[in-house]
Amino acid sequence: MSRPTPHASTQAMRQCRTCRHFRNDAAFLEAALPGLASLSSGYGSVRADDGLCLLHDRYLGARSSCADHALPQTQSRPAEVATR
Amino acid sequence: MANVDVHPGSGIAPPLRWRELWLKEDWWAIWLGLGIVLVAYAVFAGGGSIRWIAVTPAKWSTLPQLGAHFAANYARYLVQLVAWLAVFSLALTALGHRAREFIPSFLILYVLSVGIFVLGQWDKANTYNLEPPLVALAVGLVLSNLIGLPRWLDAGFRVEFYIKTGIVLLGATLPFTLIVWAGPAAILQASIVSIVTFAVIYGVAVRLGLDKRLAATLGAGGAVCGVSAAIAVAGAVGAKRDHAPIAITTVILWAVAMIFVLPFLAQALHLPAGVGGAWIGTSEFADAAGFAAAQTYGDLASHGAVPGTSEQAVFAYTLIKVVGRDAWIGIWAFVLAIIATTRWERAETGRKPDAAEIWWRFPKFVIGFLIASLLVTFVTTGYALADYNKTVVPALVGPIKDLRTWAFIFCFLSIGLTTRFRELASAGKKPFFAFGVGAIVNVIVGFILSAIVFAAHWQNLAP
Repeated sequence: MSRPTPHASTQAMRQCRTCRHFRNDAAFLEAALPGLASLSSGYGSVRADDGLCLLHDRYLGARSSCADHALPQTQSRPAEVATR
Repeated sequence: MANVDVHPGSGIAPPLRWRELWLKEDWWAIWLGLGIVLVAYAVFAGGGSIRWIAVTPAKWSTLPQLGAHFAANYARYLVQLVAWLAVFSLALTALGHRAREFIPSFLILYVLSVGIFVLGQWDKANTYNLEPPLVALAVGLVLSNLIGLPRWLDAGFRVEFYIKTGIVLLGATLPFTLIVWAGPAAILQASIVSIVTFAVIYGVAVRLGLDKRLAATLGAGGAVCGVSAAIAVAGAVGAKRDHAPIAITTVILWAVAMIFVLPFLAQALHLPAGVGGAWIGTSEFADAAGFAAAQTYGDLASHGAVPGTSEQAVFAYTLIKVVGRDAWIGIWAFVLAIIATTRWERAETGRKPDAAEIWWRFPKFVIGFLIASLLVTFVTTGYALADYNKTVVPALVGPIKDLRTWAFIFCFLSIGLTTRFRELASAGKKPFFAFGVGAIVNVIVGFILSAIVFAAHWQNLAP
């Protein structure tokens, strides 16, 4: 994974939460992680807003960032609720 | 890994902040649980009781008896079903589920739950070891693995939501003074077991050559609160995509096995109900699985198979698991995030650990559990013990306990109905072995602490 950007403000803009490769909606995660809903849930507080980076195949917090950050092509629908 | 429909991220997701209050099931469990408690108290304060709607099958020995019960009470069951449907539909649609999928699914779940409840009330049930939690789990596993159910039915099989709602309701039946009295020992015992278990799983996993992030994810799953802890720590340490499914599979296999083993092992060791409950609290991994085992042990106590009361087993389990282990998941995640970002892979995820993570990941339903306990304890402090048993228990605490039992049965059935073994990711021998070593150490240390060091504490747990 690439190194983060040096400036905090730039880094905030490049957080995974705003990246097209990042998915953190609960329904998606329950489908992507088999068994998650059996003894836990994608909708629980302990998950916070973590999600999957589909580019780097990592499960990480929404505040993470990297140089491969890419803005979504359309920004009209929040990823957290996109599949609901 | 499941074959899921993957689309690139479609937009900016704002931080949850206050939206968590209606986008996380923990908060909905609080709203529903405390809502039920407040309604129950309001009716009680007005001289009535919610007992009519909190109907449960009565003890029976012949089919005509059973038939007479349902002939006399079918309206109560129908109203209860509609009430459950209404409150759960409200919550689950707010969370993003579809009501048209949830409603038929919950209808099936409710009918099955009535059947499980009826079986548990049969006077020969204990003769054949037909403990409702185990029967519910077994029925669910058979239906989902041997017969197969459509995927969309999962909308109503919300294991965590039901158990969290049940735990909030349980708070109303657990005196706050008991939490204050037993809480410190629960935290101490749980902390010792959690740290030892994590260290063993992590150490063995790293020695076997597994990635440190996978080792930490597995360790948290065994040491704190099962799948929920594993997923929380996986996110905190930036685990690889396949780490979480490996940990999930490992935890599920061990947890399901322990549900069936622990209660009967505790019985064979002649452990009193409170001691057995505490041992299950330190040795089971996921809340829902542990409640199934603890409730089974409580049922054995209510049948006289082990000394003590059913509530002692459930209360001791709850204190150890919810107060002693679950509440600390945020701290585990925060500490491991610091280690991951400063020692394991500095700069890889461009993220600095934030102490606020402790709150973000805090299992909020614990707040509802504590408030419910505080609330009912406060409003009943003026009652002498005799009046409490004569008035408060049958009209207020008893019906809440019955609704709690329903929520737990919904949960136990849902565990089986959503556990499809063939769909679980392959865990691999090394993660399974590392977790297994930790689980065995966990069981031994938990037994020493529960049955020897703190035995008197748990044995004398009131009520």
